[in-house]
Amino acid sequence: MRYALTTILTIFFLSLFLSCYSVRVKVSNGPGPEPADTEREDALSGMMVRKLDTIVTVKTTTDENPINIKTCDSGALHTVEYRNTFGGILLYLATFGRKRTVKITYVCVKDQN
Amino acid sequence: MAITTKTARTRWNTLHKNGPFPLKWFLSTKLEKKAFLPAQLDRYNDAATEMQTLLKEALDNGEGFRSIGAKWSMSSIAHDKDRMHFSAHLNIKIPIQSSDLHAGTSYESSNLHLVQCGNQIKEISHYLENLGKSLKTTGASNGQTIGGCISTGVHGSAMDVGSVQDYVVGLNLIIGPNPNDIIYLERHTQPALNDSFANKIKARVIRNDGLFNAALVGLGSFGFIHGVVIEAEDAFLLKRYVRKIDKDVALELTKTLDFENSTFRIPEEIDTQGNPLRPYHYKVYINQYSDETEYPIEVIYKKPFDPRYKEIFGDPIPFMKEFIYRDLIYLFIKISERFPKSIPKFIKALSRSILPAEDDVIVGRISEIFWDAGYQGRAFACAFGIAHTDAPKALNVLSKLTIDEGPVPGIFAMRFVKKSKGLLAFTRFPTTCMLEIDGIQWKGNGNIISLERYAERMIEVLQQHNIPFTIHWGKNAAWNFSGLATHMYGNDAALWLQYRSALLSEEMASVFSNDFLKTLGLSHYFTNADPNLVASL
Repeated sequence: MRYALTTILTIFFLSLFLSCYSVRVKVSNGPGPEPADTEREDALSGMMVRKLDTIVTVKTTTDENPINIKTCDSGALHTVEYRNTFGGILLYLATFGRKRTVKITYVCVKDQN
Repeated sequence: MAITTKTARTRWNTLHKNGPFPLKWFLSTKLEKKAFLPAQLDRYNDAATEMQTLLKEALDNGEGFRSIGAKWSMSSIAHDKDRMHFSAHLNIKIPIQSSDLHAGTSYESSNLHLVQCGNQIKEISHYLENLGKSLKTTGASNGQTIGGCISTGVHGSAMDVGSVQDYVVGLNLIIGPNPNDIIYLERHTQPALNDSFANKIKARVIRNDGLFNAALVGLGSFGFIHGVVIEAEDAFLLKRYVRKIDKDVALELTKTLDFENSTFRIPEEIDTQGNPLRPYHYKVYINQYSDETEYPIEVIYKKPFDPRYKEIFGDPIPFMKEFIYRDLIYLFIKISERFPKSIPKFIKALSRSILPAEDDVIVGRISEIFWDAGYQGRAFACAFGIAHTDAPKALNVLSKLTIDEGPVPGIFAMRFVKKSKGLLAFTRFPTTCMLEIDGIQWKGNGNIISLERYAERMIEVLQQHNIPFTIHWGKNAAWNFSGLATHMYGNDAALWLQYRSALLSEEMASVFSNDFLKTLGLSHYFTNADPNLVASL
């Protein structure tokens, strides 16, 4: 009985940490995404996809812009997919908002010439 | 300096995963940064120098070289086993000034733009819109590069306009590593730019209708297309309707294209005498497995541009995102989401279903009506060009084949395109009906015909019924079908080879020949080709 309860609780907490949802935001009226030759088989196929997977520590002085993206030659973002997890929310709550999990997939706007 | 990244690879694939194909080297060139080389012409010429270096490397190593854009083609036309070059970062756009115009030109400078090969349709549209201009036509979507579009003949269904290559008025080709291997080519009867502009891009000028028309749809084999001069037009709007109409009326229209005297009419689209207007675009969707008595048709009318169109008609993009008749693959994928995965069960479900109605009317720019489609999974597409007068007969023949010898997980559509002057343009009939079947990839077995066999049978039945046809260069087909190029193009295939042989050295012709070309017998080189074929007239 005790073993079963432990297992159920473990699965429950694991699912909390692994469960997630994502939201994709895309610019619809720009010149289009930065292209790449990849073998992806999803909506970002044919695009140069970059990822950011980190935990940022937010201080009062960095609260405005805890993350800066410098990798876009065009200086602009075309698509951003933000992924949220229960683990991330728990971390946020446990640290009173000081530590934040960041999981972002992004595509830059194609540099225009 | 433009920089090329060279990566060793073992394979390459198309966007819709119609491969994989073997590959040795993948090359990707990026332009010099604007901060270091601010002038567009300097960056353009710098890229030309880099491309000549890459061509020399291929030549010195006795290897093939093929440039690719957005890799939307489903055939192997874009593939080379040795060196493939990703050109999509080469996207300079240069507006032509009145001082650049040829003295005898009929073009307006504000409509002419030199666009580098890697410019995608979407970004060219964006660029032109900021100048109050528009492309004349595009494909059903917007991700292809301009170099890829004209090499393969990308088309929409603009009945009286043509394909993408038909608004190209100048070609900047790089045919080898030597200084005189940079060429600016245009028609001698319709010159666009003067020699002074050609000098700015370090090109020697050839004005020759025959050569231009041969190189226009060059299958990636007439040298590296560095840039093209396109003719745009003033901004306009498109008003899109989808209606389900009696299939006999829909098919009669495919045969006559006589909208003015048709029983089909949209109350808002009539002239002052009450006769139906001729649309800009006509497309018919057909579920060959269903006995439905009505076909969904898409008609689009061209309207003057009104900057308040979003206020008046609403933003077209949210509509387009939900719009099921975006392109044929998209429609099919959306339908297939609701059905079983097993192909026989899927086809059974398809036979019981009807293609949905779609009543929203959408108004937008060409870039908004033919909007993003992108990757929709592993897809196939077969597309035949036939005279529009043969459209009902060809549909009947190919539908019967698909039902009798299938099942094939795809559905048909028909689009209509004005004749192209390109020698190997598949839009070679006065008005070509592009009869296409798009769907999801499948594996053939003892019970289900394979794609390869189906593609072969499509050619056989069209030949048996004496229906002249061409095949879309960028779609799936039995390209190894005996005598295919000559059957489709007659003497024009041989003439194309003569022009190519006259323009390219034998060594460079080999560099620009891939397996696709060899399979079709279009890589042959005539050492005695008439040099007058490439004379500037």
